[in-house]
Amino acid sequence: MDFSWSKEQKELLDAVHRFAARELAYDAIQADRAGQFSHDAWKKCGVFGIQGLPVPPEYGGLGCDPLMTAGVLERLGYSCKDNGLIFAINAHLWTVVMPLITTGTDSQKRKYLPGLSSGAIVGANAMSEPNFGSDAFNLATTAQRDGAHYLLNGSKTFVTNAPVADLFAVYATVDKSKGPHGVTGFLVEKNTPGLVIGRKIEKMGMRTAQMAEVFLEDCPVPVENRLGQEGGGSLVFSRSMTWERGCILASAVGAMQRILETCIRYAKTRKQSGQSIGKFQHVAGKIVDMKLRLETSRQLLYHSAWLRSQGKAGFLEAAMVKLHISDCWIKTCEDAIQVHGGYGYMVDYEMERELRDALGSRLYSGTSEIQKNLIASLLGL
Amino acid sequence: MKILVPFKRVADPGSYVDQGAVEERKWIINPFDEIAVEEAIRIKERGEAQELVGATIGSEGAEEQVRTAMAMGLDRAIRVDDSRYLDAYAVSRILEGVVRLEKPDLVLMGKQAVDSDANQTGQMLAGRLSWPQATFVSKIEFVSGFTIARCTRETDSGLEVITVDLPAVVTTDLRLNEPRYVSLPSLMKARRRPFEVLTVEQIGVDVQSRSTVLKSSPTPRRAAGVRLETVEQLVACLRNNDKVL
Amino acid sequence: MIESLVLIEHCAGSIKRSSLNAARLACRLGDHFALAVLGNGVVEIAESVRALGARAVLLADSPLLAEPLADRYAAVLAAMARRLGARNLLGTSSTFTKDVLPRTAALLDAPMLSDVTGSETVNGETVFQHPVNAGSVSATVKLEGDVRVLTVRGAAFATPVPTGAPSPIEMFSFDPAALPNGTQFVSRDTRPSGRPDLTEASVVVSGGRPLKDKETFERLIGGLADALGGAVGATRAAVDAGMVPNDCQVGQTGKTVAPELYFAVGVSGAIQHMAGTMDAKVIVAINRDPDAPVFQMANYGLVGDLHELVPNLIAAIRS
Repeated sequence: MDFSWSKEQKELLDAVHRFAARELAYDAIQADRAGQFSHDAWKKCGVFGIQGLPVPPEYGGLGCDPLMTAGVLERLGYSCKDNGLIFAINAHLWTVVMPLITTGTDSQKRKYLPGLSSGAIVGANAMSEPNFGSDAFNLATTAQRDGAHYLLNGSKTFVTNAPVADLFAVYATVDKSKGPHGVTGFLVEKNTPGLVIGRKIEKMGMRTAQMAEVFLEDCPVPVENRLGQEGGGSLVFSRSMTWERGCILASAVGAMQRILETCIRYAKTRKQSGQSIGKFQHVAGKIVDMKLRLETSRQLLYHSAWLRSQGKAGFLEAAMVKLHISDCWIKTCEDAIQVHGGYGYMVDYEMERELRDALGSRLYSGTSEIQKNLIASLLGL
Repeated sequence: MKILVPFKRVADPGSYVDQGAVEERKWIINPFDEIAVEEAIRIKERGEAQELVGATIGSEGAEEQVRTAMAMGLDRAIRVDDSRYLDAYAVSRILEGVVRLEKPDLVLMGKQAVDSDANQTGQMLAGRLSWPQATFVSKIEFVSGFTIARCTRETDSGLEVITVDLPAVVTTDLRLNEPRYVSLPSLMKARRRPFEVLTVEQIGVDVQSRSTVLKSSPTPRRAAGVRLETVEQLVACLRNNDKVL
Repeated sequence: MIESLVLIEHCAGSIKRSSLNAARLACRLGDHFALAVLGNGVVEIAESVRALGARAVLLADSPLLAEPLADRYAAVLAAMARRLGARNLLGTSSTFTKDVLPRTAALLDAPMLSDVTGSETVNGETVFQHPVNAGSVSATVKLEGDVRVLTVRGAAFATPVPTGAPSPIEMFSFDPAALPNGTQFVSRDTRPSGRPDLTEASVVVSGGRPLKDKETFERLIGGLADALGGAVGATRAAVDAGMVPNDCQVGQTGKTVAPELYFAVGVSGAIQHMAGTMDAKVIVAINRDPDAPVFQMANYGLVGDLHELVPNLIAAIRS
């Protein structure tokens, strides 16, 4: 079993750090405070190749397999402190780009993938609704066929990237009586009449990622913009969900590495009672725990990615990745604050922001409770 | 105009961790040489140069840096296969051989390598070729129909402007430019582009280093001193203890 | 037999004192050394170095050498070294010697070692120490060959004291037509700062990026330097940000200083900067961040806002 990256893979991975150190080293404290989306950082990531990682080269991407994709995202998480930017990229990649790759028609791919890959176009996913979060497939937004169009009506919430998006993947039902089997996916361009972006939603963390409600009021979507078949919405969703669950926390592994290194440095240099605090067992113990969490997360991440690179479905593993890494990330951030003592609570030391950013990870892409239910059912319980 | 850009593979200074274990050492293009690569590319982007050739001396590991330099935008590259420790004397003689093969109009390279800190190779090369040199350059432009380079140099007494007739050797200083990063797509494309590997014999050079490192040791670190609370305390210490005020 | 030739540096009619320090090393490498003075109308410079115990002061005085163009200077210097049959060609590390001496080494087919900090004898041979890796490592090096070129780190060798008998000045002649002429001098932008030279000052006050802008830098760093009669230095970041000109940069790729007292104000302590301050006697660090690496290298540290501390310090010094 060879656990190492090849020379070629390493060269690409090393390039990520150099890129991020140069272009994404802006003041993360200030960015978090301002809570603005950085179009500049987004575009730079696009030019660098992030948004095109899994996209086939014929549509303008890099055609990377899940392993390489996870590796690049891990490095990005390590080298870029703006978790909000990375979250925005992840939302774009897994909820718009990936469904297009797996389910889009050739003309849809030709029309949208190049721009999505280069960062010229921002994608957003309108799935959750005020009354339907985890219970997504009972959604209430409707799509009524009207000649060459569907008319969409309803409201969506928690739409990441909505205020800055150019293309929306919107899920609506063509027949409420069919329950999940009526759910259908649609690609809706910004500025389509009847597509209304609501007020910005302020979040606890990842504040540079923008989020808003989206209202659909007789919004006309051409038939050729339907994603997949009528009633095939849950299929679109589940095809890309394994990628999403498997990769969305790859950057968290990088963040945990960075946080671990920061804590080790701090524990070595901060002195109390005449010695470095790293010599105190309780402090050292926390750092050891961080290391363990980092390594178990890393192993799970890459094993899941490897399975998918081998063409295996890997549902169970992806759910475990999402569940485990979110828990590890949050706990590591809590421990990091504690290691820093009073300074951990201070904005300037950046640990408090890491925790605020991490806390969302048990909620998006399926809450931890949903992941557990899924794993339980896959275990046959 | 044809520009030759020699560059050196160095350990990433950021990966010098003096406490605890260093896992894998990271390697990069010497930052000053990277500035030279960037400048050469900008000169070509302005339409003032037609061919950019990179050259490095080292073993197979150096091919990572060759690909990076090509991904930045060089047209061709040469790796001279030589894994010996080479001092500036030897490097300048090997580069002289490369220059005689490639016949560039300009050699553009970093002023010093951040590991050896020698700041000699470019000047030695210029001396061997009997070409004019412009060192520690922070700005370069071409005049008189690209036969002359007008260079601003950073010296101990400030900025100085000279002109050098081409062909010439120019060494770059920090503020000449800020190099672009290499994107993943360009790295992947560069992988498919071949580059030459030559031996010193093929270049027609037979040279040994003229310096040998007998031993190296970390320089003694200064001991951390005292934290003071007020400026008055500081002034008192400096006046009474150290007598430097 | 004159074993060593030492290149003297001068600017605007006065000698650069630290350029004499290389003569100290010359004395260790042989019984006799000569000094080389190149320029235009620099007889007085040559006169001023007659009392240093050199066997001769070689003077190449010509309008063609009015500016220190490396191709011309190297050609003349190499000819001088050949005529003497010198084994060693020395200088004190500066942008001038860095420009001229390596080229001269190539003309003499000689190796070169920069920034020598010391020498010792090993198996009957002299070997030299010098810093590498931004000064974090000291390497001991042996040089091969009939001729070797060396620059010394100014602070590592003391300025020679005047001795008795004055050295003779020998006019060194060369064929002007044989001199390279592919380089032309255009202009130099030297503003006299009214402050001591950075590499020679006994007090240096350096500032980093937290000084924010040119005016604040001048007010606080310049103000503190003036209160102490010292020179102004800067980190690369401060120079890049345009707060001060490049000749204030202290560090691995800037100047090396060795004052009695060095203030690092708003300087984090990155090794690339501190490499230039290794030889300072007392280092004082003023920084807002108590964990800044600079405090590990400073004799005294003050944690706080430099915008308050520096004016208070200036006032305390003046009182």
